[in-house]
Amino acid sequence: MSTLRNMRQNLPVIAPIVALVVLILIGIALNPNFLSYANITNVLARSAFIGIIAIGMTFVITAGGLDLSVGSMAAFVAGLMILVMNLLTDSMGQGLPVILIGIALALGVGILAGFINGILITRAGIEAFILTLGTMGIYRSLVTWLADGGTLSLGYEMREMYRPVYYGGIMGISWPIIVFAALAILGEITMRHTAFGRHCAAIGSNEKVARYSSVSVTRVKLATYVLLGLLVGIAVVMYVPRLGSASATTGLLWELEAIAAVIIGGTLLKGGFGRVWGTVVGVLILSLIGNLLNLTDVVSPYLNGAIQGVVIILAVVLQRNTGTAR
Amino acid sequence: MTDPVLALDGVTKSFGPIEILHGVDFALRPGEVHALIGENGAGKSTTMKILAGYLDPTGGQVKLDGKPIGFSGSDQAEDLGVIMIHQEFNLAEHLSVDQNVFLGRELTKGWRLDHKSMRQRTADLLKRLHCKVDPGARVSGISVPDKQMVEIAKALSRKARVLIMDEPTAVLTERETEILFEQVERLRAEGVAILYTSHKLGEVKRIADRVTVLRDGTMVRSDLTADVTEDDMAAAMVGRELSDLFPPKLTGSDEPILTARNITVPGIVDDASLTLHKGEVLGIGGLVGSGRTELAEAIAGLRPRSGTVTLMDRDLPAGDVAQAMKAGLAYLTEDRKGAGLLLDKSLRENLTLPLLETFGSPLIERKREDAALDRAIEDFAIRAPARDMAVGDLSGGNQQKLLLAKTLLSNPQVVIIDEPTRGIDIGTKQQIYTLIAKLAAEGRSIIVISSEMPELIGLASRVVVMHAGRIAGELAGADVTEGGIVRLAMGMDGTSKDSAA
Amino acid sequence: MRKTLIATIALIGLTAMPALSETIGISIPAATHGWAGALNFHAERTVERLKEANPDLDFVLTTTSDPGQQVSDLEDMVATRGIDALVVLPFESEPLTGPIQRIADSGIWVTVVDRGLAQEGIEDLYVAGDNDSFGRTAGTYFADTLDDGAKIVVMRGIASTVDNERVAGFESALEGSGIEVLAMDHGNWNRDTAFNLMQDYLSRFPEIDAVWAADDDMAVGALAAIEQAGRNDEMIVVGGAGMKEMVDRIRNDDKTVPVNVTYPPAMISTAIEMTAMGLTSGAPFSGDFIIASQLITPENAEDFYFEDSPY
Repeated sequence: MSTLRNMRQNLPVIAPIVALVVLILIGIALNPNFLSYANITNVLARSAFIGIIAIGMTFVITAGGLDLSVGSMAAFVAGLMILVMNLLTDSMGQGLPVILIGIALALGVGILAGFINGILITRAGIEAFILTLGTMGIYRSLVTWLADGGTLSLGYEMREMYRPVYYGGIMGISWPIIVFAALAILGEITMRHTAFGRHCAAIGSNEKVARYSSVSVTRVKLATYVLLGLLVGIAVVMYVPRLGSASATTGLLWELEAIAAVIIGGTLLKGGFGRVWGTVVGVLILSLIGNLLNLTDVVSPYLNGAIQGVVIILAVVLQRNTGTAR
Repeated sequence: MTDPVLALDGVTKSFGPIEILHGVDFALRPGEVHALIGENGAGKSTTMKILAGYLDPTGGQVKLDGKPIGFSGSDQAEDLGVIMIHQEFNLAEHLSVDQNVFLGRELTKGWRLDHKSMRQRTADLLKRLHCKVDPGARVSGISVPDKQMVEIAKALSRKARVLIMDEPTAVLTERETEILFEQVERLRAEGVAILYTSHKLGEVKRIADRVTVLRDGTMVRSDLTADVTEDDMAAAMVGRELSDLFPPKLTGSDEPILTARNITVPGIVDDASLTLHKGEVLGIGGLVGSGRTELAEAIAGLRPRSGTVTLMDRDLPAGDVAQAMKAGLAYLTEDRKGAGLLLDKSLRENLTLPLLETFGSPLIERKREDAALDRAIEDFAIRAPARDMAVGDLSGGNQQKLLLAKTLLSNPQVVIIDEPTRGIDIGTKQQIYTLIAKLAAEGRSIIVISSEMPELIGLASRVVVMHAGRIAGELAGADVTEGGIVRLAMGMDGTSKDSAA
Repeated sequence: MRKTLIATIALIGLTAMPALSETIGISIPAATHGWAGALNFHAERTVERLKEANPDLDFVLTTTSDPGQQVSDLEDMVATRGIDALVVLPFESEPLTGPIQRIADSGIWVTVVDRGLAQEGIEDLYVAGDNDSFGRTAGTYFADTLDDGAKIVVMRGIASTVDNERVAGFESALEGSGIEVLAMDHGNWNRDTAFNLMQDYLSRFPEIDAVWAADDDMAVGALAAIEQAGRNDEMIVVGGAGMKEMVDRIRNDDKTVPVNVTYPPAMISTAIEMTAMGLTSGAPFSGDFIIASQLITPENAEDFYFEDSPY
């Protein structure tokens, strides 16, 4: 009886994990290859891009903000990175320096893009939703323009040299997975155990209280957007070596997947409470749904979106406290 | 004596394994004002919520017109004329007054909203309440007492038979309270049964016909108000004799510690200057809206301002609350729930928020935080059923004590306390007064802002009174009297002979 | 009636004839994937070329990302630019049929490109690729080269009429060949989606002999996944639309990518040029011009490789 009540009370906490376990069990039942090393590695590695972005999104949302521009931003940063690396290859020749400059550029542009979002939201006081809706369109157009409407592709030689960043790894674990895991752990520690994480939650909970408690609200909010921009840059650094190309469809809807993952993970959309481990679980849930649907013929492929929608809603419904005051 | 319209019969209420109410009997009669008093946490809110259908009793019965009834919810209770006005108003800030009054019960003409009659009906109701608010005004733009009136108008529009008011005067000035009481008397004359809670015993004596005292979930006594004195009530509430509410006053030194010169906050505070001495308790009086809070916030770096603030020979920059705190100045807000505490966070997270960096960097050390909370709980006698509970679930008095602990965490030399005892019970009040005196005795300097005259008079050795954004005058020593403060607050000359009378 | 027109147009050329200034409106989908990007590229280049050759011609080029916006664009063109002719690639057939009908009724020359309208006889000129032939050409290649009992997987595009026509052509060509289609899912003409989908196919099926990706963007994603799994030698990948990289692989005798199927984005140039000539020469071309898909093989790959094309 009391364990049952404990379960009910803890449901919001464990709901995402329950959903994840259920999906894994379904996967095992449907296809014996589900648990194969290759499949697990594939799913984890492809989760890394949105996962890394979603970690940053957790901080932004926890502090009461939102960023819709990350998908377009990733496409733009990727496009710019490829363009510059191709130009550098022409002038400097192929080599490690080109890759390093490319990576530095991706991180720098990511930070700058995050800073622009943050400064306009905090200083100019533009609503985050509408501002990032605007920058979303801007970055999307910019990448289309950079690519002349087509696809920007990294030169063949450079692609071969850069390739190991996605496909390589240590001890059979590929780099995207390692980076994703490391950032997730760092993110969780930052959220739970540092003043910055606590300040994010305080601002999202009640901005006025935070200000009266001498928390520098604008600086912390700005920092969340800059952090998100940096993480977008890191995601791009991992993304570009995969296919070596960027186009107008790169990163399409990533922002919504990242936000969905954050919310499935138990972070409050209105801010005030966030947990990074939940976000990681949320990202894995979303990836697994796609993977499972590809591994079976049970459901018509036309219904993929519907299945995703149902799982998102279920995961969020389970988290709602039962028996809230009327 | 008329028959009760709404009554509780041996009602108990448990939350989980903890019983909060232990058999409360209680009757509300038409045309009677019934005061329910008790310390914070005594069970007043729970009792009211059961009466108004927000909570179901665990045991016992609620009786309407003598027949047992189980309200399905507050909606049903309201339909039956039992209406509760919450301390935190239930108003949609962005809607107009008339839209709020008819919210959820809009009048319609066919399928269209009948804006004209709703506005007219609202105007009539407000006129009945002698309230001058425009029915078309947005609620976010009207004053707190006017909001109170809108809540009452809303209740009246539902043909209230029983009106339950949770500390209606907590946010009102004395004059506004008087207007409210006129309306309460009018409603009483119309045969409405009124239940009313307050921490202000003088008010209870003034307005209530009957008074019931709750202590720790038990009814201690229920008498006609005429039969009991304020001291009786206070003693029944705390369960012991209350000695003198205020500790003896200390006069500070002559050494200035904080000097504010020509402080102007555009549109609110106009060229105000004041000096605080070391070890002194300085009072700031004035009506709500006279600029007291804004002046304090400007000094504390929470508002843009012009003018200079000097703390211990150091100029504090405008609009930089972190600098002010570092220099040794702390401000305790009057808006406990809106600006003071994160209601959905735990005690620990609230306590350490202003000074997180000092609890370990880069990682916060949980142990040190817990130790700080242990100290705060002990030093400030905070009573919390569980350490990890949300602060919003604490009683008002314990919230205030936590807020005080949080404000004093930075060990400030100067503390500005805005409304130190708003909405808290008399026992906690006394604790806070003692604490303020203790802080002064330690050599700290305190500014107390208050709407309660006895508080200013009982605590401060010197009182600065504000009127319409300006410093209207200053009273010291024996001149600190209720009459003197009121005259200055109303914009009259405080030194007039009358004040001595 | 099927003709290959590009050559004809090049022969006729554009002799500038002094006439009243004429305006041609062009409305095409925004460059959201490679093929549409190439379409935009060709449209812009053609407009520039024609403007230079004939100063009396004026062009209004708009790109849209949804049918609703395209309708507004068309209305604006008629109302504010007073176009004399319209070249339109309808985003979707049904919602655009009515608006284009009204434009045609008002006496404006209408050229419809690639995607047919829901009703026949509205447009003056119809220039299109052949989706059925696109699928059929790939299917026929599989049927001819793969053994009986070979196992293949199929990546479809975004669910649409175009996609359905291609898959129908592909399936009918496979009939009776004994080739087994293991799975068929939507890769949405997107590289990333196709990469993930191919990874999952590789996990799911131990034996795959061939992949049909109904677009070269998806083929790129599929190839990356196959390469990652190290199974390049086990299967072939056939894409479609003649992307530069793919044609390059073919002409270099890549074993994984033996052939490709054309669906030339340059058809927009054909449509614009024919419309412009009709306006300026007074001898309008009308009717249907369907450009059949061709199989690109190592033998003819050189003819399909365009160095400066973005696609």
